[in-house]
Amino acid sequence: MTVERGSPAFRIAVHGAMILLSLLAIFPLWWMIATSLRPEGEVFSTALFPASPTLENYRAALEALPMPRILWNTFAMAALTAAAQAASGLLAAYALVFWRFRGARTAQVLIALSWLVPFQVVMIPNYVLATRLGMLDSLAGLVIPNAAAAFAVLLMINALRSFPKEIVEAARMDGAGSLRILVEVIVPNLRAPLASLGVLAFISAWNEYFWPLLLIRRMEASVVQIGLQFFMTQEGNDWGPLMAAATMASLPILALYLVLHRQVIDSFMRSGIR
Amino acid sequence: MLKRHLLAAGLLATLAAPQIAAAEMAEAITEPVTITFYNYNLASAGLGREATLGLIEEFMRRNPLVTVEPIAAPSNEVLSRVQADMVAGMQPDLAQLVFRDLIYAAKELGAEPLEDLAGEELAAHSVGMVPNGLALGEVEGKTYGLAYVFSTPVMFYNADLFRAAGLDPDQPPRTWEEVKDAGLAITKATGKHGFFPGAYGPIDGTFVYQAIVMSNGGKVRDGNTLTFADPAAAEAVAMLRDLMDSGAHARIDVGAHLDTFQSGNLGMFLWTSAVQNRLIKAAEGNFELRVAPMPAFGEKPTAPTNSGSALFLFSKEPEKQRAAWELMKFLTSEYAYNEITTKIGYLPLRPGMVEDPKWLKDWVEANPMIKPNLSQLERLTPNIAFPGPNYRQVENMMKEAMTEAVFGSGDPVETLKAAQERGQPLMPAE
Repeated sequence: MTVERGSPAFRIAVHGAMILLSLLAIFPLWWMIATSLRPEGEVFSTALFPASPTLENYRAALEALPMPRILWNTFAMAALTAAAQAASGLLAAYALVFWRFRGARTAQVLIALSWLVPFQVVMIPNYVLATRLGMLDSLAGLVIPNAAAAFAVLLMINALRSFPKEIVEAARMDGAGSLRILVEVIVPNLRAPLASLGVLAFISAWNEYFWPLLLIRRMEASVVQIGLQFFMTQEGNDWGPLMAAATMASLPILALYLVLHRQVIDSFMRSGIR
Repeated sequence: MLKRHLLAAGLLATLAAPQIAAAEMAEAITEPVTITFYNYNLASAGLGREATLGLIEEFMRRNPLVTVEPIAAPSNEVLSRVQADMVAGMQPDLAQLVFRDLIYAAKELGAEPLEDLAGEELAAHSVGMVPNGLALGEVEGKTYGLAYVFSTPVMFYNADLFRAAGLDPDQPPRTWEEVKDAGLAITKATGKHGFFPGAYGPIDGTFVYQAIVMSNGGKVRDGNTLTFADPAAAEAVAMLRDLMDSGAHARIDVGAHLDTFQSGNLGMFLWTSAVQNRLIKAAEGNFELRVAPMPAFGEKPTAPTNSGSALFLFSKEPEKQRAAWELMKFLTSEYAYNEITTKIGYLPLRPGMVEDPKWLKDWVEANPMIKPNLSQLERLTPNIAFPGPNYRQVENMMKEAMTEAVFGSGDPVETLKAAQERGQPLMPAE
């Protein structure tokens, strides 16, 4: 027996599969929230709902960590990094796409190759420099080394290559300079790729672990990924407070997703999942 | 894991600057001085952090001219942090490093040999320590690391599962044969897991594995020659494989052992007593937790090795050296071990405190679970660190081979031999 596309049976099957996949995707999130609400003796329970829910883990997490401060630090670091990467990517891409100069191709290849260098390789030289510049424990130290990214430049190059050159030429003939063309002509028409880049850079910076681990010494100046580590030790994890902190840490990203869900999905579709 | 290896490789390559020659330590602290203290107990929430902060505060109260700047880093990252700061020109003063880093810290990072630095003061300070206490941090006859927070492997067991399996929880297994029998009985009667040793990683060192090997008369290396596939060492691993094949040894994720035991799904768990407080909390209202000494190979005496960490002094300025040495002495004093043992759960390096009513006597009576661990102090056998710049890689190769030998299907001895052959070229030449 065959099921025709568009038939009720087909639709039920498709929706059933999608509901199942959605539940699978949501389950870890639910488990995080449920564990954060379980009392200590119930943390290893496999029941779907906490038998006696408590906010004790949230109290423990907030007592152990300056959570609002850490969330603000992370938000500021991620937002500034995303803005800086979008700006530097856009400027570099504009030069490489619309200006003709010797070495443009080589510069582009070098930028692409730099993407292949793991951050861990340049981390120590960056750390030495940041230390000498007095950037230990600072927001500037967290943002500046990541203010330019090869991924951002390449994404912007792709976006600008598909931008109609005639419009740029017309603006130039009308006497507009490069900066004006960029700000008044290109940026307003490049909102979608810029939003995509911003979202990806924000999420990537939000999840950054190694660089803050090295650079930051005081918990008040720290970020959320280091804060979560606070509940994980060689002698076991404090699952309750860890899940409470993780839930609080997920909220801003969740809010970002709710506001920008179309751009987030577009970002992953355009760039491939990083 | 790959990222960590890349980070370590980058640090090794960058840390090429020659060490500054040590000056003579100042006789006393006469003016204000600030020292850094790299510590992993501070990097996580809970009793370890609170107790350590309390100790630092007390030290500064007793030494008003000294300011201690604590720098927290997780135990598997603290060495990287020390190295990075050295490269950046911020010479660390005192660091808590795990024992696996002992030789590297002594030979490559320029940790100060305490005999040269403090001579008679060290001798006087070591009076009252366990016989092997100083040996835990020795490299080629000199003490580079002063044992700080440490423990030995003990067997935690779930008395409820013992009863359910018809076993007597007052008679825990003493030998590996008895572990096998008890593990099989628990598995058969309850459907839960029998036994698991915290010997396979992914985060902990190899101290449990080394304790099992040395209890059978084996060693993981002899000088610069790897010996973890030699008969006595390989037999110990083959014994674990036999437990696995029989079903007495749990086949679970190697990183999930603690959670499995805490959730009441594992009968016997051989690991550091540093988790005792955590296990007591997890067991409350769920199951009866008990502790026994680590099992033996027949009548052979066991060789419990040390987990945990030692303190390493890196200061190069005379005043800072004095301040760091004073902090080192304070952190290994009776006052400090009273705090460390009662609040964190590690062993006291000074066993006399256990009988002293001024210190731990009453506490030990009220917390008898520490007794099996204290009894093992008499046979404390130093954990063997690996030498040379590739020490972590060699240790990982050994650990992975041992895990494959126990969990895999191939011949365990051949698996170990193959890894030993691959690892030997990474060891320093004789």
